Amino acid sequence: MFIYIIKRLLWVIPTILAVLFLLFSLTYLLPGDPADIILGPRATDEMAENLRERLGLNRPWYQGYFSYIRDVMRGDLGVSVFRSRPVFNVVMEVLPYTLALTFAGMGLAVINGILIGLLAANYQNTWFDKFLTLISFITASTPTYIASVLIIVIFSVNLNLLPSIGLGEGGLLNSLYYLIGPAVALSIGWTGYIGRLTRSSMLETLESDFIQTEKSFGLPRNYIIYKYALKKAIKPIIAVIGLGVGRLLGGAVFVEVIFTRPGLGRLIVDSIFERDLPLVRGGVLVAALLFVFANLLADISYAYFDPRIKQE
Amino acid sequence: MFNSQRLFRFKKKISRVINIMKHDYRTYVGGVIILAIFISAIFAPWLAPHNPYSTDVVNRLQGPSLNNPLGTDSVGRDILSRLIYAARPAIYVAVGGLSISVFFGLILGLSAAYLGGIIDKLILFLFDFIRAFPPLILILVLLAIIGPSLISVIIILGITIIPRYGRVVRAETLSEKEEDYVESARSLGASNFRVVYKHIFPNIFASVLVLGGMDMASMIMWEAGLSFLGLGLQPPLSSWGVMLQESYQYIQTAPLMIVWPALAIMLTMLGFSLFAESLRVALNPKTSQEDRY
Repeated sequence: MFIYIIKRLLWVIPTILAVLFLLFSLTYLLPGDPADIILGPRATDEMAENLRERLGLNRPWYQGYFSYIRDVMRGDLGVSVFRSRPVFNVVMEVLPYTLALTFAGMGLAVINGILIGLLAANYQNTWFDKFLTLISFITASTPTYIASVLIIVIFSVNLNLLPSIGLGEGGLLNSLYYLIGPAVALSIGWTGYIGRLTRSSMLETLESDFIQTEKSFGLPRNYIIYKYALKKAIKPIIAVIGLGVGRLLGGAVFVEVIFTRPGLGRLIVDSIFERDLPLVRGGVLVAALLFVFANLLADISYAYFDPRIKQE
Repeated sequence: MFNSQRLFRFKKKISRVINIMKHDYRTYVGGVIILAIFISAIFAPWLAPHNPYSTDVVNRLQGPSLNNPLGTDSVGRDILSRLIYAARPAIYVAVGGLSISVFFGLILGLSAAYLGGIIDKLILFLFDFIRAFPPLILILVLLAIIGPSLISVIIILGITIIPRYGRVVRAETLSEKEEDYVESARSLGASNFRVVYKHIFPNIFASVLVLGGMDMASMIMWEAGLSFLGLGLQPPLSSWGVMLQESYQYIQTAPLMIVWPALAIMLTMLGFSLFAESLRVALNPKTSQEDRY
């Protein structure tokens, strides 16, 4: 276990270096000369040449790559072209909103998913089970942006219950109120997934030998379910939470754009449209780091809760 | 004799799968939806009541009527006709993207398993590299590099899913390679190509089929999502994502307009995942013909 974790941790280093390499090479891959894009059409050749010198575009690429890595390690992500502010500050400003949204979405998905799965397993093979299974199937195959759009149409436009735009002014309660729609939209897909996972894991556990033994002792059914079975059946669900957080970070892009909330995803989309190269790089870097970290947690928790994986 | 026996077993396996699927409602619901999408993609000009691009500004943002069963959009185009025509880019993306990822996944996975050593390590690193990015963000960055269009969406979606197939192909090839019958075929002098074609392919076929069904759905989903963000297919092309994007501006005044493409995407996803699920259950050797559900 310990060796596995060390190996997995070491694996993070080449991954991050590769991510940095792709982001670094964006300068050369994006259409158009970066200096021209930054300075606009009225710049003289001399100005462009000065800027190229300053950005390090005249150096050989590996020198540029190493100085890029050095800058990133120092927390210097460059200056946003359109906002004229350090990229680091711009990204850190919106990051909390994305994290709050992601964790709220994941929390809802876990709670609702486990509830649906337990109910379905408890009423196995009745019409109620079939109904819940169908619900989880439909929600699991609903894209985040469809869920967002339908929530706005139903709850904001028709029923006028939830706000459809922005963060909400002042006060924690109001912010939470504005978070309901986006968080539910983000959670929909994983609710269905976790529901199906819980149902099958619970059914598998209830059939396993140790539960059969408990039954033969004559312990009450509910006692067995909540005292023994749940403890074991919940492990695969905990193991996928890390994976889910990584996935939801991607889904948050749609939610942020559709509900017009500030956040990392929307920042990246906006900066791509504005051709703001430093901001694209910085935003994608932070998103990728979060994703790498979430995957790391996912793998370690998987190995912890499902020891078979270690052999691989 | 060796070969005919394997062929016999393969045929038996297929008839078993079909037998299980025949009794699963998911096969029919999913199959009907997928068929409907393919039919509307192929026969769009005959099925659509109007030209999906002809505008009629006087009758813009109309509700459902006899002439326009689902109403008209912001420039008076018939929504039903646009929905039907939009099945085409969806199918292009699903089939095109899947072909790219299966093709390169096969090549890379087989090379990794067969050549081993440093090449195996390199290919695995490439897969991990692609998977290191949040999927949507990698797609966005790549689209920013080569610019949004139907072709670039197909290529990029195909590339991002290569690792899934590559890993499956590599893992199954590695385990098949150790099997006795492959060893004996090799000792009889069968070439690598023959071993792969005759023995490895039939075995990875099942996993690729199930993954493929689900990935076709997710590629249609990504295409619509990207077009919605304005980074995929571009208006005035008829695509469900473009329709979402166009009607999003009118979500407060004409909310019904955005519901139609949303439903089309949801149904598509549901159809493909139902069919893939029934296929997965049937292909699972643990499923007996008696307990089908």
